Amino acid sequence: VGRRGGGGISLRPDELEAVLREGPRALVDRGIGTPDDAERTESRGRVEDADPEHVSDRARQRGADQLGTMGSGNHFLELGCVTRIFDGERARSLGLAEGQVTALIHSGSRGLGHQVCTDFVRAMDAALVHHRIKLPDRQLSCAPLGSPEGRAYVGAMAAAANFAFANRHAIAAGVRRATAEVLGDEVARGTRQIYDVAHNIAKLEVHGGREVCVHRKGATRAFPEQPVFIPGSMGTGSYVLVGRPEASERSFGTVCHGAGRQLSRTAARKRIAGAELRRELEGRGITVRCPSNRGLAEEAPFAYKEIDHVVEVVERAGLASRVALLRPLGVIKG
Amino acid sequence: MYRWVEHTGELEVEIEAENETEVFEQGFEAMRDLLRSEEAAPSAAGERMRVSLTARDRPALLADWLSELAFLAESAGFVPERVAAIELDENRLTAELLGVRGDPPHLVKAATYHRLALEPGGSGWRATVVLDV
Repeated sequence: VGRRGGGGISLRPDELEAVLREGPRALVDRGIGTPDDAERTESRGRVEDADPEHVSDRARQRGADQLGTMGSGNHFLELGCVTRIFDGERARSLGLAEGQVTALIHSGSRGLGHQVCTDFVRAMDAALVHHRIKLPDRQLSCAPLGSPEGRAYVGAMAAAANFAFANRHAIAAGVRRATAEVLGDEVARGTRQIYDVAHNIAKLEVHGGREVCVHRKGATRAFPEQPVFIPGSMGTGSYVLVGRPEASERSFGTVCHGAGRQLSRTAARKRIAGAELRRELEGRGITVRCPSNRGLAEEAPFAYKEIDHVVEVVERAGLASRVALLRPLGVIKG
Repeated sequence: MYRWVEHTGELEVEIEAENETEVFEQGFEAMRDLLRSEEAAPSAAGERMRVSLTARDRPALLADWLSELAFLAESAGFVPERVAAIELDENRLTAELLGVRGDPPHLVKAATYHRLALEPGGSGWRATVVLDV
């Protein structure tokens, strides 16, 4: 699921165009996933202002066979079990109960979205002098929102976000298919999406009575009562929370989207070999499916900050409230 | 020579070489290190790829060169083995690569402009590139 030829949905150019414009709904039309899944998605799976015209041919080439694939790095699919409920009422409203099995998906817009980034970093780098912008770091390449480069980027980024929603939607549909194959159709029919949220995006929103462009880089939206997911690592646990009203004034309605790394990939590899980590996790009852021992070692649990502490900080800062704790049963990495 | 340096979130490579062309060759070696399959046995390089790039300046050209290798791996399954020919001319690069078709990991999404540097240093040239993973 993570690599070339690894089970992605191949899209014709017109099908890819539809995904860039419509997000998951373009897949529902093809019988992939359900309308309810698409509804339970940030922006209902379709960011306004998507303009595929500004998504380059190279980006389309990268995305053409990647829909439904996770990619490498920190992307994962984690099967877990709800082991603790912190807020019974909210858990019920989200459809969560102790003992339930969950699937948590972390992936994004794959090579397509990254190519959009690469294309526009270069385009804006070339326009910096024109816009009289001086930067402390060249990767912070930017342009005014209303400039031709800024407008084009917003259109391309929104299209890439729709692709990312569709990608996770396709992976979730794959989870449902696998559930049907292993546990039967009735169990599969009982699966449903709790929520899907972007983690690298900029959006125009109103906070404190002003319209602002909120950049969420490695962060997710946390509007009041909206479900929020903060994964820890493959050996610890993940939390389901809901956003709190105070988050709007404190963080523009935003929380972190994971525990965050504390060790570099090189340092993690020096501390443990992938094969050893695999044995250790499986000894603790966590099944691991990862094609790369190197990639597995780089994502070792100790490379990440302690999730319970991270979530406690989020809650005490008044940004989101804990609803449920998910303990990992198995992890698939690309 | 190249070496990986500590970077919490991404991968950062430092390169030292006698001249700029060698910096680009060492950058290739670093990417080859990442794109090689862990399980596959070495095989004869049977595929040829031609690369032609233009950038605003030499540091950007270096980033584009490494990004191109990530792109070829992701879009064509091209696992690079060696550089058969490379030519730098102002801010243009042309190269011919030898490699194999395979299933390289999609670890590197692109080379970024973050902390990007290519400049004279020591007795030759030094470069720093951060790779987004």
